Amino acid sequence: MNDSQQKKAEAEKTRAVLNHNQAKIKLCLEACASCSICAESCFLFNNNNHDPRFMPSYKVINSLGVLYKKKGRVGTEQLKRMQDLVWRNCVLCTRCYCPLGIDIPDLIALARSLLRTRGVCGVYPHTLGAPEEEYIMEWDPQELSDPDEDPDTQR
Amino acid sequence: MYEFVTGPLLWISFLIFFSGTLYRIRRLYSLTEKREVTVTPPGAAAPPAAAVSAEERKLNLVVSFQNSLLGKHPVMAIVSTIFHICLFAAPLLSQAHNLLIYESWGISFISIPDKLCDVLTIIFLACAVFFLVRRLTVPKVIAVSSPYDFLVLFITAAPFLSGFCAYHQWLDYKTVLTAHVITGEIMLVAIPFTKLGHMVFFFFVRILIGGEYSFGSGRRAWKT
Ligand code: HEM
Ligand code: SF4
Ligand code: SF4
Repeated sequence: MNDSQQKKAEAEKTRAVLNHNQAKIKLCLEACASCSICAESCFLFNNNNHDPRFMPSYKVINSLGVLYKKKGRVGTEQLKRMQDLVWRNCVLCTRCYCPLGIDIPDLIALARSLLRTRGVCGVYPHTLGAPEEEYIMEWDPQELSDPDEDPDTQR
Repeated sequence: MYEFVTGPLLWISFLIFFSGTLYRIRRLYSLTEKREVTVTPPGAAAPPAAAVSAEERKLNLVVSFQNSLLGKHPVMAIVSTIFHICLFAAPLLSQAHNLLIYESWGISFISIPDKLCDVLTIIFLACAVFFLVRRLTVPKVIAVSSPYDFLVLFITAAPFLSGFCAYHQWLDYKTVLTAHVITGEIMLVAIPFTKLGHMVFFFFVRILIGGEYSFGSGRRAWKT
């Protein structure tokens, strides 16, 4: 399989997972009042200086939410950030609490499934003793790149 | 204009609100199914409850309170509760609304004095300002806010703001009253189709879907 065929096959897999879960994703994303009450229920948020990138709803909106809105068409750079969000910044401990009943871990797990269709998997360099420079997140939570301007965006 | 917005447009809004809400409930039903997995296997007796001393019970109560929304986010819990109570109480119990309902159908709910309704409206608007300021200043809230969140807050607050102006006869009464009716209709229509649909989502999910935080039977689960 050449590169473009591979990319096409990946995109198809992503769309299949998205389509299968479309209605649920839409309902759950839409129900979120962006109230941020879930923040303090996540021990990772509490233990990382209240960095918003560890907040449950932030992780969902900026991984699953973006994949859903862009129908899976996101570039490598954004995939890398999503990988940080759903693997590095969440251990799926299912302790998060949302007053509206949104099942955040379920949605993060779904984001992981979607990322796997793009060949992006979980890596835990920090648990393997890698030096900090190798796993530090080098992006600002307010400056998510625009996937339309990312040259690697998959069509 | 006023005749049109209080006539046909009102009926259309009610129709969209009720059918949209029903559609949302149906959708939630179709996305979930009866839960098969139970904690106790069928036929087996539930495990006997362990003996709990009075002290333990007290400690459990304290810990569950500390972990509750009221314990963790007291300000948010109180403001949000007051906001939502006023949101329903002010329009449903207002004397002016009940008079209109009575004139149309000869029925009415209990109503509260105009002065009290005015107070509820002011409290509601104060809560809305609290949400707005929070959304503009608290970093974690900023991180998940989009223009959509501000719009939704505005759609919710607009009928109260215009109702307040109408009651106090600020600006041109007839125009303000028309604006009040229209903003109210926009809010009704928006409830089933925007983030405000959390009204249906909340009751459905937290009562019917099983989970650690469900209030009710939790007999349903999301389909996979
Ligand atoms: C009775 C059912 C409802 C329940 C249980 C409910 C519950 C909630 C909860 C838990 C939140 C998040 C926490 C917060 O920000 O306070 C919220 C936020 C909100 N609700 Fe409701 N809600 C209901 C109905 C409505 C309706 C009918 C509207 C509007 C027409 C509405 C408007 C809002 C708004 C604007 C927010 C966001 C506040 C913010 O900007 O932070 N709610 N609701
Ligand atoms: S607590 Fe629930 S509604 Fe509020 S921001 Fe988190 S996921 Fe969204
Ligand atoms: S499941 Fe993820 S987001 Fe939820 S509390 Fe655990 S680490 Fe935080």
